[in-house]
Amino acid sequence: MDVAEEGSETGVEREEEEPRIGVYVCHCGLNIAGSVDVEAVSAYAAGLPGVVLSKDYRYSCSDPGQEMMKEDIQKHALNRLVVASCSPRLHEPTFRAMAEEAGMNRYLVEMANIREHCSWVHLYDKEGGTEKAKELVRMAVAKARLLEAQVEKKVPVLRKTAVIGAGVAGIQAALDLADSGYKVHLIEKDVSIGGRMAQIDKTFPTMDCSICILAPKMSEVGRHPNVEVLTCAEVKSVSGYVGNFVITIKKKARFVNKNCTACGDCSTACPVAVPNEFDLGLASRKAIYTPFAQAVPSTYAVDIVTCLNDGPVLACEKCIEACDVEDCIDFNARDETIDLEVGTIIVATGASTFDPKVLEEYGYGKYPNVLTTLEFERLINAGGPSGGHLIRPSDLEPPKNVAFIQCIGSRTEKDGNPYCSNICCMETIKDALLIKEHWPDTEIDVYYMDIRAFGKGFEDLYKRARSLGVRFIRGIPAEALHLEGDDVRLIGENTLLSEIYDEEYDMVILSVGIEPREDSEVVQRLFNLSKTADGFFMESHPKLLPVDTPTKGVFLAGCAESPKDIKDSVTQACAAASRANILMAKGEVTVEAITPMYVEDNCNGCGLCVKVCPYNAIELIGKKPNQKIKIIEAACTGCGTCGAECKFEGLIMRHFTDEQIVAQIDGALDENPEGKILAFCCNWCSYAGADFAGVSRMQYPSNVRIIKTMCSGRVSENFVRRGFEKRAGAVLVSGCHLQDCHYINANYQTKKRVEKLWKEMEKLGLDTNRLQLDWFTAAEGQKFADKIGEMKEIVEKVDPKEIDKAAETFKPKKKKRKQ
Amino acid sequence: MSEEGEPKLVNPEFTKEVIKRGADTITLCFQCATCTGGCPSGRITAFRTRKLMRRVQLGFKEDVLPSDELWLCTTCMTCDERCPRGVKITDIIMTLRNMAVEEGHMAEAHKRTAGMLIKTGHAIPMGDKFRELRKTLKLDEVPPTVLCDPKLYEDVVKIMKATEFDKLIGERIDG
Amino acid sequence: MAKVGLFLGCITPLRYPGIESSTIDVLEALGVEAKILQGTSCCPAPGVFRSFDQEVWRALGARNLALAEEQGVEILNICNGCFGSLSESSHQLREDPKKLEKVNNILSQIGKKYNGTAKVRHFAEFLYRDVGLENIAKRVKNKQDHLKVAVHYGCHFLKPRMLKEIDDPERPKILDELVEVTGAKSIPYKDKQMCCGAGGGVRARTKDVAQKMTIQKMENINEVGANVIVDVCPFCHLQFDQGQEEVETKVPVLHLSQLYVLAFGLPKERMGVEAHAIPVNF
Repeated sequence: MDVAEEGSETGVEREEEEPRIGVYVCHCGLNIAGSVDVEAVSAYAAGLPGVVLSKDYRYSCSDPGQEMMKEDIQKHALNRLVVASCSPRLHEPTFRAMAEEAGMNRYLVEMANIREHCSWVHLYDKEGGTEKAKELVRMAVAKARLLEAQVEKKVPVLRKTAVIGAGVAGIQAALDLADSGYKVHLIEKDVSIGGRMAQIDKTFPTMDCSICILAPKMSEVGRHPNVEVLTCAEVKSVSGYVGNFVITIKKKARFVNKNCTACGDCSTACPVAVPNEFDLGLASRKAIYTPFAQAVPSTYAVDIVTCLNDGPVLACEKCIEACDVEDCIDFNARDETIDLEVGTIIVATGASTFDPKVLEEYGYGKYPNVLTTLEFERLINAGGPSGGHLIRPSDLEPPKNVAFIQCIGSRTEKDGNPYCSNICCMETIKDALLIKEHWPDTEIDVYYMDIRAFGKGFEDLYKRARSLGVRFIRGIPAEALHLEGDDVRLIGENTLLSEIYDEEYDMVILSVGIEPREDSEVVQRLFNLSKTADGFFMESHPKLLPVDTPTKGVFLAGCAESPKDIKDSVTQACAAASRANILMAKGEVTVEAITPMYVEDNCNGCGLCVKVCPYNAIELIGKKPNQKIKIIEAACTGCGTCGAECKFEGLIMRHFTDEQIVAQIDGALDENPEGKILAFCCNWCSYAGADFAGVSRMQYPSNVRIIKTMCSGRVSENFVRRGFEKRAGAVLVSGCHLQDCHYINANYQTKKRVEKLWKEMEKLGLDTNRLQLDWFTAAEGQKFADKIGEMKEIVEKVDPKEIDKAAETFKPKKKKRKQ
Repeated sequence: MSEEGEPKLVNPEFTKEVIKRGADTITLCFQCATCTGGCPSGRITAFRTRKLMRRVQLGFKEDVLPSDELWLCTTCMTCDERCPRGVKITDIIMTLRNMAVEEGHMAEAHKRTAGMLIKTGHAIPMGDKFRELRKTLKLDEVPPTVLCDPKLYEDVVKIMKATEFDKLIGERIDG
Repeated sequence: MAKVGLFLGCITPLRYPGIESSTIDVLEALGVEAKILQGTSCCPAPGVFRSFDQEVWRALGARNLALAEEQGVEILNICNGCFGSLSESSHQLREDPKKLEKVNNILSQIGKKYNGTAKVRHFAEFLYRDVGLENIAKRVKNKQDHLKVAVHYGCHFLKPRMLKEIDDPERPKILDELVEVTGAKSIPYKDKQMCCGAGGGVRARTKDVAQKMTIQKMENINEVGANVIVDVCPFCHLQFDQGQEEVETKVPVLHLSQLYVLAFGLPKERMGVEAHAIPVNF
């Protein structure tokens, strides 16, 4: 069957020059060539319609590779390019730039993903992999024949930034950008900036006093003319796009204004005492308080939840009476809602620590002298509840012997997290040294599995702890028993001796890991972020774009991205600031030319597209029956949901046209369609998830053919019908998880459409099982691989008669074509 | 077992065989020893659950299958509950014991217990003393299990024959 | 309330028949519709037979499970070993169609088929969930406040936690509550969750090792001055009853059903304490 002819059947006639396509099949060393016969693929491509040149090459992305392509474009007058190599998410920009240098429009390049989606996931199926690679190339060539040149638009980037979270990462990023001359809004949920670093006593490996090195930065950012510190503030909503975000924040009333001299008289007078969160409940604070001495702003704050007063209704005026400054405490204060317009955003929302209560065998929360490392930080901190004197909670006596237990809640498949938390080994070593330096006679045992002292200066610190007599015992205690006098007994195996130990301690410190904050899902949705399997925010590329996120203009810093120490947090903050700086310094950014083209003649003004657009980027104009629409280009992000909704060919999605996608569908189902799974994947999540499966070498059956759209909302019902008409064994429509759509809520349209199709199929007596809908995050590679395995079984079981029936049913009714 | 200082005989096929039999979680063990620490048997014997897991990972078949240690586990499953890696330790020990029995490593006492199952369908014999006691308690003198009906016992024997349990154990008893 | 078939196992009918009669009386007193599941064999025992050959262990287990399916009842166990074995085998047969098929090939030789639907219950868990503490409390006539109880859960009652889903095996309370509802006091003791020592074929093969564990447990039990051990497993029961030879202060042993006979004021002679090595004089 001639695919090109098929394509033209669906709509617009082409008036362009004949396509002259060059195909390049990349070996990627042995990454592709190891499990795909690249020469065979290249030879196959040479015979495809429109292809005038086909080559295989060792590293297409290398300079010589790119030079070769440029020469070929000139020499053979190529007007389309197909590169069969890695994921377009990786190298599409590379090949587009190359094409542009050779005088070809960047939108005339198409990629076939034969690495992440083929060679890496079919490592042991060279035949199946080669077959698939050929068909992926055929699909790409089919689309390439229909590609059109596009012109990209530029949008301005506001030279203002918002930093969310004012721990050390947020503070650093804010300072760097403010020093570069940009206006920075530093948004912090708590009453003071400072974050976790303010709670910690000393830092490793240099043993610097944590607050001593943080406090100057806190006050610097507090008084910086370019920085507006917004404490007690939470982000409520985010709209807009790179360069032009609008962040709405709710700033809770502090009830104490800037006149406050931080004398503390109000706090002394306040009758309400509650546990101090900053000291993890080891000490108390008043309802009017400042969490710690170096707090910025130094202004006190009223915790209205525990205060006896309820807003302006005063039941207690002790603080007001104690205050010497006029009108300083004001219970009439109200929460404020503030809109901030910014060009870039840095998310530095930090992390939590693992709560070891669930590990019942260690008795945390039940035995008074079993503590966490973070609690220990407060206990040994001069600003903490014990004034820096190490005492144990049960009898306030200094402990004579202390045990640390490592990997609490880390590296576990059960209660806790599967990853290594990165900092706990060094934190314990530092803590042990702190005890040894102050109270050298304290005996310290560290129970561990592996000590990971990998960073600069870390091994030295480890050595120092050993030389001071800290004992490191390999073998995690199986349980902690509570003894009389609140001592704790630990039983386990010393694995290096194969002997059972049974030791008693005055104090046991659980070295707890770091985990994502409980509210990280809220943050994820607000900023359209992705998460990796561990629950931390995902970077755009783990190696090459480590602080970018899939949402352009939003960057990551600190523990929100993964567990890390202070140095790494600061480094990452500098990087994030630098990335934001690049966008803002340039002052404008090009946006992809993937917005819809309006065909006014076809539009009957039904307004369906208006309803489904997540960005309100389409407006109805005029009155019925002459009602038409208007597209607001700047607000459109190119998800394609409108294009899928339009029944009248009134909207043509640039670079993802109906005819291009249909050509891909047909290309995928040209041969042996009954055995195939036709999969639609969205650029941000499910396609990226399939990429992740590839990078992780998760193997799955080779009979799936993936078509990429920007959003699953682009998948029109007709694409699915076309698949069944062309006898696909099964069809998968996939996107981001419902709440996590990169286009706000466009995937709800996907769900609606698939459900409609299911109903339709049911009515027609068709097997609905053949149409599957599923959601994958960019990290759910295994889920994607499993899904394909599951669908292979569906394909294998489907009755040929069922396929006939569906093909017949979905054959388009003959309609008169416009001439 | 090999002598001190002598290199051990490594049998990678052994590890593979254990995994094939469903004990695939063995590979996840990272020797934290939470298992040994909580093992009631390990506290009074030389049994080290962790070492057993390590020996299986490394293919030290001759250290594992003929060993007495393999039979010191009471299957209390404390280790399973606490293992941070989700290694199904007790299941693995069951698999290893099955393999040991196949290779002829079975204690006399266990052969006798197995023989009792073959002979009666129960793990322990019915003594006269207990018949009497059952009568006093106004219970059926013979419990209404396979003991009360030879036909039911025959069914049980058929199952043991079909799984060749009789052969497995018979050979042990005879040999 | 579910209809239950009482699964006898081996040790109960053949060593401690008093547990059998006590259970029957207690269930009747609580208005539970219970019959003895007829024609069963050994469960087969998880420690020994599963260790020897999992094929025969599953197949014989499936026969027992099929009997319950035929008779339309849930299997009620008064032994942790039987409960452990049948829970595990029924779980495997539910999760793995290949194993089920294999087992059914064997069962077909005796004209039986297992469909994988049997529900495996434990006496104590059944009392707690289906009968309820309140209803049990209503039946208590004789407050057992003279009893200072060392509660012994045993291993296969609660573990594996994911399969049994009864209580937290590290710090359970279900059995303590079932004991304290009689007015008796459950006394905490060191290593309470530790194994009795008998399981896994250890008692049969290396009795001295089993003994050592029991003695360790007894030291901890005697340390707190308990005057009775209450268990929910005839095998633990046997280990404690017969394993205290070398222990100076001997503590008598009761199965939960026997404690309830006392508390409910049911005929004491049906407790069958004649079979006990350590005299029971309550």
